[in-house]
Amino acid sequence: MDTEAQILKPRETAPRSLGRSVLLTLPITLWSLLIFSNSYRQPNRSVEIAGIITAVFMMALFFMMMRTWSTYRWRRWFFVALGLLFPVGFIHEVMVMRGSMGIPMEEMIAGRTPFCYLPIPLLILPAALTKTVVFPGSILPGGGMSGGGMAAMAGLWLAITIVVGKGWCSYACFFGGIEEGMASVPKRAKLRKIDPRWRYGPWAVLLAMVLLSLALFEPAYCMWLCPFKAVSEYVAARNTVGMIQNGIFVVLFAGLVIVLPLLTKKRTQCAFFCPFGAFQSIFNKMSVFEVKIDPERCSPCVLCQTACPTMSLTEESIAQGKTLMSCMKCGACVDACPKHAAVWHIKGTEVAVKPERARLMLLYASWGMAVMFGGTIIAQGLATILHVFV
Amino acid sequence: MASCGPVVVPSLLAEGAGVRLSSRFLSTFLGARFLGYLLFAALAWELGVLVALPPAPRLVMMGVVHVLLAGVLLWYAYSIGHARPQPRPGPELVTIGVARKRSITGPAALGFLTGLSLCPPFVIAGVRAAEMDSAAAALLFFAVFFVGTSVWFVPLVSLGCVRRSQAVTTVARMAMALIAFYYLYLGSAMLVGRKVYGY
Repeated sequence: MDTEAQILKPRETAPRSLGRSVLLTLPITLWSLLIFSNSYRQPNRSVEIAGIITAVFMMALFFMMMRTWSTYRWRRWFFVALGLLFPVGFIHEVMVMRGSMGIPMEEMIAGRTPFCYLPIPLLILPAALTKTVVFPGSILPGGGMSGGGMAAMAGLWLAITIVVGKGWCSYACFFGGIEEGMASVPKRAKLRKIDPRWRYGPWAVLLAMVLLSLALFEPAYCMWLCPFKAVSEYVAARNTVGMIQNGIFVVLFAGLVIVLPLLTKKRTQCAFFCPFGAFQSIFNKMSVFEVKIDPERCSPCVLCQTACPTMSLTEESIAQGKTLMSCMKCGACVDACPKHAAVWHIKGTEVAVKPERARLMLLYASWGMAVMFGGTIIAQGLATILHVFV
Repeated sequence: MASCGPVVVPSLLAEGAGVRLSSRFLSTFLGARFLGYLLFAALAWELGVLVALPPAPRLVMMGVVHVLLAGVLLWYAYSIGHARPQPRPGPELVTIGVARKRSITGPAALGFLTGLSLCPPFVIAGVRAAEMDSAAAALLFFAVFFVGTSVWFVPLVSLGCVRRSQAVTTVARMAMALIAFYYLYLGSAMLVGRKVYGY
């Protein structure tokens, strides 16, 4: 009974005290100041201002998470900002470096293609079987346009993934924010009945792309199906093939990232298409953080199921007291539950006992990473915009 | 294996579970692939210059094979999902081995078409076969080539151990459809004479 009172009392009555909220935000404040301290020393004023704004933004959001006990709605501000500002900074960079968003074949052959994390699962089989990396980029830093190289991105991905599992898709992915923003625009979903079998889509795309990448010896997803090529870097359309590829990118982006999220209020690209998301689901088994449903408190009203942007809750899974392995730890279900039955949980501990402690541990890990990875991307995008005015 | 993987792995996963069933699927697939090889070998030797044909007719041939492969993959993905369950015998009959009949048409058609498609090692083997002194030597060469490449398929039998559920078969069928669309694009591009990466 004591435990129940401990959990229910603060969330149902009032926001957390100001002092306590500030105190809990302190580690993130220090971390943000450390990460963005470099920007204060920049001679470029737009970079300096962007760094300050981003640091304040990240600290303020974390403070509100502490103050309001809510995760999802504050995290969403960060995530949408990341999704919108990544293309701004990235496109500006490729325009400066290359004069075009289109990457010509000779640049690829020279290994100067910037590397993002999406092709990681496609590289594993060819690398294991042939000791060859089937991506036209540089493995080590300094060799490619992106500067960091594939090894740096893969290392960063692995470190973050081990800790937060598929939380990557809610705190680190610089693509998912656009559709999350789109999904939050309408008040109600126009398309409510979605065949649950579409949830298998990411796994099918993953299977097909892994096999095709091995057969064609190229990252097939990047060449043919990545919707985000439409807002980052596409194949220079010098022939019919290039035109077809770019046409596919644009259609997929418009459909999965703009139109369907507006109609369904779901992250449709993440939930039904992204092969990297499916790959990340495997690592959810490794992460210690998860969301559990306390069966003793659950009515079940299925509000959590409705709120979940990736359809990672079903009536069966709720009855079993857990989410599906595709859960991205965004916190929508936890925030939506009026009875606090959906709770943050650390594996190996008792369910619904001090869930706020579990939330804090997840948030320190994921927000720390968000400040370092997403925050710098936000700052870069902001600096690009500010550069026009300052 | 890498070239045939996109065809064989999802179609094997879309089938039922069990090592025996997987072995049967792979045997049918490889047997039909062997037939495709032999047919190609006979043609390669008979024509002598099959792989040195002018690009246009060769592209047409490859295009047709890819379009057919796409068609079979789509049909197979559809038919597995809509296969009518066989009438089940009474429990007392189960023990005497009344098994659900499975068609070999799908794996056989896929095997035959992958046997005819021109993956890079296959083209090299075709050149060697065309240089042989006799049709028998060419056929023997292709038979050995077949055995050598088939060894890589043996580990795929273990896919039979993957527990089948609606999720696994749906994922496999969706993947087959995606791969079919890629082959369809590839085949169509070849037929209209456009340049495609890798060819």
